[in-house]
Parts: sequence; C-alpha cells; structure tokens
Amino acid sequence: MFRAHSLLWSYLWVAPNVLLFILGLLIWKRGIATRVRAFLAFAVLSAVSELAIYAADVLPSVGPRAFWGISWTGLLIEGVLKFLLIGEIFAQVFGSYRSVARLGRLLIQWVGVALILVATAAAAYAPQNSQFGIISGFHLLEQAVYLIESGVLVFIFLFSFYFHLAWERRLFGITLGLSISSCVHLATWALIDNGGLPESKRMILVFVNMATYHVCVLIWFYYLLVPRKPSKKNTIPPTGPSAGPPAGPTAEDDLDAWNRELERLVQQ
Amino acid sequence: MTLAIILVVAAALALVFILAVTLSRSLQISKGDSRAAKIQPIDVEAFRNLIDPAEDDYLRRRLSATEFRLVRRQRLRAMAAYVRTAKRNAAVLVRMGQGALTTGDAQTAEAARRLVDNALLLSRNADFALLRIYFALAWPNSGLAAAPILHGYEQLNGSAMLLGRLQNPAVPVRISASL
Repeated sequence: MFRAHSLLWSYLWVAPNVLLFILGLLIWKRGIATRVRAFLAFAVLSAVSELAIYAADVLPSVGPRAFWGISWTGLLIEGVLKFLLIGEIFAQVFGSYRSVARLGRLLIQWVGVALILVATAAAAYAPQNSQFGIISGFHLLEQAVYLIESGVLVFIFLFSFYFHLAWERRLFGITLGLSISSCVHLATWALIDNGGLPESKRMILVFVNMATYHVCVLIWFYYLLVPRKPSKKNTIPPTGPSAGPPAGPTAEDDLDAWNRELERLVQQ
Repeated sequence: MTLAIILVVAAALALVFILAVTLSRSLQISKGDSRAAKIQPIDVEAFRNLIDPAEDDYLRRRLSATEFRLVRRQRLRAMAAYVRTAKRNAAVLVRMGQGALTTGDAQTAEAARRLVDNALLLSRNADFALLRIYFALAWPNSGLAAAPILHGYEQLNGSAMLLGRLQNPAVPVRISASL
C-alpha cells in the first residue's frame, strides 16, 4: 500500500495541490486576496510547482537529472514564498502596534540568524547517505527550510501568546496550517535524512508528510472560506455610525463593569 | 541518529505547543466571555507612594540599615504585586481593544488600536520593571525606576476611557470628567 506510484501516493501528491490551487482561485474570486497576498501567491505558485514535480516524476520522458533540477527549482520557489508568507503574518499580527513591532522585528532577526546557524550545523553533521550530491543536497536544503520555518513560526506564536495578542481568524488558520506542516515535515525529513531507516520505513514517512499536507490544506480551506459562527454574546458591541442595531444587554453590562472599574481606579 | 532524535523531539515539542495554543483558543479573537470583570482595580496613589524616591530617602534617614532593608524589601514585594496586576489588566485590555478593532467605525477602531498599543507597551515595560524589582530585592539599596509603569498605566487608562466612550456613548462616562 505504501509504495511510490501507488494510487494513494498519486492521490496524496496531486489532490492537496489541486485543492490549494482552487483555494487560491476562490480567495481571488471572493475579494479577500488583498488581505492575504503572500498566501495567495504561495497557494497558486507552490501548487503549480508541486504539480510540475509530480508530472516530471510520472512522465517517462523526463530523466532523473531533469527531475531533480525541477525539484530543486520548486523547493527554492516554495522556500522563498514561505518566508514571504511568514513576513506577511508577522506584519499583520504585530505591524500595527508600534510598542511591540520593533522589539518583535529585532528578536525575530536574532531568532532567524540562530536558526540558520542551527540548520547549517544540522546539515554539516548529517550523514551523506546518497552518492548523488543533487539528491542529498535537496534533502538537506528541505530539512533546513523546515527547521528555520518551524522555528520562526513557533517564535511568532510564543511572542503573541506572551503579549496576549489575538489573531484575525484567517491569519490564525494560515499560520496554524503552515506550522503543523512545517513541524511534521521537519520531524519526518530529519528521520529520512539522518535516521538510517530502511526504504520501506522511509516511504511510510513520505506518506505521513503527504497526508499531513493534505490535512493542512483542509485547515486552510476551513479558516479562509468557512465563515465564523456568530457569537451569542458580544464583549464589545460596535456602536459607530456604520454599526448595526445596538447589541444586547450583556455587552453593555461588560462595558459598564469596565467603566466602573476604571472609575474606581481614578477615584482611589 | 542522535541528530534525528534531537530534531524530532524539537519538532514534536513545537507541534504540541502550537496545538495547545490552538485548543485553548487564546490566540483567536474571542467575543464570548466577560473580560471587563477580570480587570482588577489598582490604587494608583499607593503605587505612586511606593515608587517615590523621597519616601525611600525618608525611610533611609529614619531607620537603621537592617530595618531599612527589611522595610524596603516589603515595599518592593508590594510594588511587584502592583506591577503584576497592572500587567494582567493590560492583557485584558489588549483583548478588549482587539475585540473592538473590527468595528466598522474608523474612530472607534483607531481608539481600540491605540488602547492595544498602550496596553502592549505597558505589558512590555512591566516585565522590565519586574526584573528591576527582583534585582532590587537582592540589593535593597539600589535605585529603582518603576515610574514608567505608572505613567504607562495612566496613559492606558485614558485610552481605555476613550474607547469606552466611543463604544457606548449612551452610558455616561464620568471618569473622563474627573480627569
């Protein structure tokens, strides 16, 4: 069952990328592209690149050197897109808050440098288990990309968790999918590259990678396209001129309580 | 194999942390719970008194060195409790401000953004102040600068009141009149 070129293998390679491409089109069609520009680029270009690699893998006319050349190009494009996407996530979460944006930028730069050093060290200590440099180099670059990506994403999660900063739903979904994908891929690529596992077990890990990516694409679908369920109780009601009808008494009670506390604060 | 184990453990820990955060929904804007009730009032005057260097000088002159260190440590512990409460309140206000960011009214959204910004600044300064307080607990004779916290809290107070007025103008906000 867990064999290369099996039906499941083809499905897990093709389906998530077709879905991701469709998600990109839907984002563009629904007019939310301006808020998730980098994700749109990632969805469309990485899906096309992965489908091109799949085509190169199954077409008998494409030789091994050409296949790995296409794989390298795809990996580089995806790597750049992922870091652009992480930049967009960071800018949207912290960019509008001057008080933490500068500190966050400074810290993320240092975290990035530290992760590059760790990834370089991990690549240097990795066993050269392929006689073909183009293949082992591809695996090591993939491991390095996932290591840096997951490290930076965990830092963003930690930083906003520390400051109790909540995220906009779509952004949270994008980051969640990207984080799950990068953590699982990091673990599996670390085992594939450095674990000295037999081919059958390595293939299982490849399937784990593909299945995880499929789940992540579904997570992106859910967070980007399924609207949030309306909350029964609203903490702070919109009351501006463009707002709808007045909110219920619970929200007013909340605000009253808040004002009472602040009043007490000033009077004490 | 060692390298693989290290990377797998690191990736697993990262994944567990991310999933825990996701399940706790602490990074998602929630509109379902009563946040205002979580605000704890702070006696600003008492805090101002605690951080007043003149008070410390007075105590230093009046008390013996041993007594002074004892009293100073007690004052520092009280100061730390105030700063921790201010930090908790700032976290509550961050969430309240973020809840109001999506409102259609530009003025309210801007007030909410300013409130969140001020609360984040206070939160950041509170950490530095706590570090200095813990340092001063070890060396009670050292100087201390917790005044930025007080200033930050007062600024936060102003931002919170402005947002409160914009959110619910029907309710009289006497706080603004008393300032």
